[in-house]
Amino acid sequence: MTPFELAEPKSLSAAVKLLDPDDTSIRPIAGGTALMLMMKAGVFRPAKLISLRNIEAKYSGIAADANGLRLGAMTTLSALEHSADVRKLAPLITRTMLTLSNVRVRNVATVGGALAHGDPHMDLPPVLMALGATLTVVSPSGERSIPLDDFFTGYYETVLEKNELIAEAHIPAQGTKRAAYMKVTTGSADDWPALGVAVVIEADGKAIESARVVVSAATTKATRLKSAETVLNGKTADDKLLAQAGDAAVEEAEFIADVRGSVPYKRELLRVYIKRAVQQALAGGVQ
Amino acid sequence: MTMAHDAPKAGSQVGRSVPRLEGRDKVTGRAEYTHTMRLPGMLYCKLFRSTVAHGLIKSVDVSEARKVPGVFAVITIDDVMKVIPDPYYGPAFHDQPILAHEKVRFVGEPVAAVLAFDPHVAEAAAQLISAEYEELPAVYDEVDALTTKTYVHDVLKPAGTFADLKHLKDAKDTNMALDYRLRRGDVDKAFAQAAHVFEHEFKTQKVLHLPFEPHASIADYKDTGVTIYTGSQGPSFVRTEIARLLGWPENKVRIKVPFLGSGYGAKLYIKLEALVVALSMIARRPVKLALTFEELFYQITKHPSTFRIKSGVDKDGRIIARKCEVYWNGGAYADIGPRVTQKSGLTASGPYEIDNVSIDSYALYTNVTPAGALRGFGVPQLVWAYESHTDMMARALKLDPVEFRRKNLLREGRPHPTGTIIKDAAVEKVLDHVLDRMNWSKPFDKGTGVVKRGRGFGIAIKAVITPTTSVAIVNVSADGSATLYCGTIDMGQGSDTAMAQMVGEILNVSAESVRVVPRDTDVTPYDMGTLGSRSLFHMGHAVRRAAEHARDQLKALAREVGEPEGSNIPVRELFVKKYGMQAGNVIGTGVFKPDYIPPAPGTGLSENVTAFWMVSGAGAEVEVDTETGHVKITKLVNVVDVGKAINPRIVETQISGAALMQLGFTMFEKMHIDGGQVTNASLADYKIPGFHDVPVVMDNSHVDTNQSNGPFGAKGVGEVSTFCVSPAIANAIDDAVGVRLMELPLNPESVYRAIRAKAGKPLEDE
Repeated sequence: MTPFELAEPKSLSAAVKLLDPDDTSIRPIAGGTALMLMMKAGVFRPAKLISLRNIEAKYSGIAADANGLRLGAMTTLSALEHSADVRKLAPLITRTMLTLSNVRVRNVATVGGALAHGDPHMDLPPVLMALGATLTVVSPSGERSIPLDDFFTGYYETVLEKNELIAEAHIPAQGTKRAAYMKVTTGSADDWPALGVAVVIEADGKAIESARVVVSAATTKATRLKSAETVLNGKTADDKLLAQAGDAAVEEAEFIADVRGSVPYKRELLRVYIKRAVQQALAGGVQ
Repeated sequence: MTMAHDAPKAGSQVGRSVPRLEGRDKVTGRAEYTHTMRLPGMLYCKLFRSTVAHGLIKSVDVSEARKVPGVFAVITIDDVMKVIPDPYYGPAFHDQPILAHEKVRFVGEPVAAVLAFDPHVAEAAAQLISAEYEELPAVYDEVDALTTKTYVHDVLKPAGTFADLKHLKDAKDTNMALDYRLRRGDVDKAFAQAAHVFEHEFKTQKVLHLPFEPHASIADYKDTGVTIYTGSQGPSFVRTEIARLLGWPENKVRIKVPFLGSGYGAKLYIKLEALVVALSMIARRPVKLALTFEELFYQITKHPSTFRIKSGVDKDGRIIARKCEVYWNGGAYADIGPRVTQKSGLTASGPYEIDNVSIDSYALYTNVTPAGALRGFGVPQLVWAYESHTDMMARALKLDPVEFRRKNLLREGRPHPTGTIIKDAAVEKVLDHVLDRMNWSKPFDKGTGVVKRGRGFGIAIKAVITPTTSVAIVNVSADGSATLYCGTIDMGQGSDTAMAQMVGEILNVSAESVRVVPRDTDVTPYDMGTLGSRSLFHMGHAVRRAAEHARDQLKALAREVGEPEGSNIPVRELFVKKYGMQAGNVIGTGVFKPDYIPPAPGTGLSENVTAFWMVSGAGAEVEVDTETGHVKITKLVNVVDVGKAINPRIVETQISGAALMQLGFTMFEKMHIDGGQVTNASLADYKIPGFHDVPVVMDNSHVDTNQSNGPFGAKGVGEVSTFCVSPAIANAIDDAVGVRLMELPLNPESVYRAIRAKAGKPLEDE
């Protein structure tokens, strides 16, 4: 790792002012679990890092009401994992934490970092997208709200400006909806996934009223598969329907080949795992 | 006699699960490792590496790097050759330059070195270096390497150490760094007579040792001598090779080795040591080079291989002929590849009695990271092929895989294809034990629906690398305490504990009371190297002899001071009686080199080709997800013949550790290489097994045997349980879903593609 400057502003507003929209060598750092890997590999060599560790404590907290959760961007994944509010209002998140990397990473990695990094292999983005999350982002010119559906623009790319930071994520309560996230690895059990599929379904028995279906890891970005949702909405989940949903998903998703699998293989995995994820969600969503 | 500091009961040290002597220091962070060591005034080195696989170096521009504040020096081969005029090193060939010289031969080869007081400054400066190359055609595949007109080296330069490499001196227009052959009987005639002939080709991929402590070396050069601190598995060889490079006597070269954060063969022979010595000579300061995990991908790997195996079987199911052609992908520098090629090559026909055998084993240069020894010294690659092949033949002949093997097994007192008579190799006992632990005779649930179940097994033999030498010293101090000086490197395998147990057994003291001196070639005597499961046997004998020598001298001392035979006098009182006070020492020495007959030129035959045989077997039960190709290992049985266990608990951890390591190589580990460039050179993209990859049931055991020529009936265990894991799992997959994989790893996509191909609906390539 090469030397760099480190700033530790005390507030979010101070932090965004230290960022420069035209200078990519200045970067914010939250938990640093992803960024440090890139720096150690020499892929990224910042001139200056803006640490967010010392910004206001409210950005590290979880607030809950009947409508849902407000997650500060600096909330650690471990805090999500152990939060009774999260378990109650969005149990899919709690379950996802069990296989999200390892305890050392969860203890430092943050909600905002997991989203802003734009890495399609991460587990939290597809889960929050399937749950219908919205982000509040802050820049020197003010604040705006972005549905997570519209947040990712490509491989490690998001709509965030270079001087814009995530302040909070808002997660609607899961309520009566049933959900599943399936992480498919093709290397070691704790490898990055070759495929992630998240589904959140409002249903009566096997009769699906509405579904949100998200694919990740096999694609350039976490993506809602609206054509698969259209197949599922208002229908009864039988083998034939699930096969149709799988076909629609495979048709819609934009796959990438990497060391974890070829495109044709990932297409087959998605086809199978759309079916399994919906079945698992309808069965109660326990992995 | 009784010794001081002798708490537990004497005379029962061997066979006891003594907790590791260094365990407490390691878990409390007090153990010393080269990676964390610092010397006063030390410079840190960072390397600039080649980005092309094969090319002539036109220029190297270090000017920007030299301008970086804090940079002490930037060094290329031109600077090195001012202090070491012939800068080529290696155990088998003097083929590897200290830094790239005129040519680069693989992506990642070190081209220039930056020295700075701060490693981060060195790294930043190294990134400012640039080089221009005239790219040459490159060869990556081991089979292509034999016939291509692209040559990795212009002229071959055997080191002179090994007799079977001498004919390659000054060889040109070849990539072949050894052509080992064995000829027994008449294979062609036997194939003509065979009722069935089977021929298959198997491949293994390029994988990494991945020691948890990456390579690290520090050199402190002075004109009066050089001290090297290094994480090495073979300090004696490092000393010899550095002395040769410097034109010095060995006594001016001192190698100190603290504990190793594992090695697995990655730290054998010479690695970073020649470079740090050259840098320290130039800088006149201590210089440290410690690799990052990412750099491990450019240091040393396991050999990828292609194995063409052909067998002739008679109408009764006896294998009457076997032809083996093995191609070893050695990478850009030979390292110990030629020895892997020969020493594993001689058992390429497996644990079977076959009258007509032909083996050709080729070490080949290619334009990728060099390959060397990795936990099994080539044998896992061979067993993968021959135990898959054996299963395929049994299936094709509709023979029971157990009975087919039993009919052909190499039994005690029968000749191995080399001509050496098998002794103390519990082949059938291991097989029986595997089957027993697998409940093989019981009905087996093959699964229903999407998930199919299967089971398989394999059995293997290995010859220990022979002949090699070990020397040990046991020093009994005047208070009766014992100190052991031996060059075996404890890299996690527990050798210090086992050696201390042997000393304790003979001197009637507890293993815990024996001090094992840290490795330092100024103090610890010669050892060939910690490799190939040789230490417990060879060094064990040397240690036993040194301890017996000390014991005999103590007995003589007792007689000399007038003690009656069988006296129980404490040792310290013996010294007091002799010297009038607590003074003096008794020094015992022991040397061991086994008998050996070199293989006959041309045929490779020898009546005594190895000091001992290693035997292991494995069985696997799997569940295959037919919709995705995922394989879950529900049971893995590992059985080994280690003779008598010196430390049963450590034996068990060696069995499980080796099997899990091979499980990673079997199921998913792979260096992906595109145009010579490793595309997954980081631990984010190259994964090794974790806790969740451990089979649901893992059953590790050793059979009750005695190695009649071993120290206390024992022999080596470090690598044995790697041998059979791959074919056992492949055979189980075949049993489950009827597909046969011929190339490692057995990852989900490979399994899925095979299932689709079998169904007549092959999946498109990309």
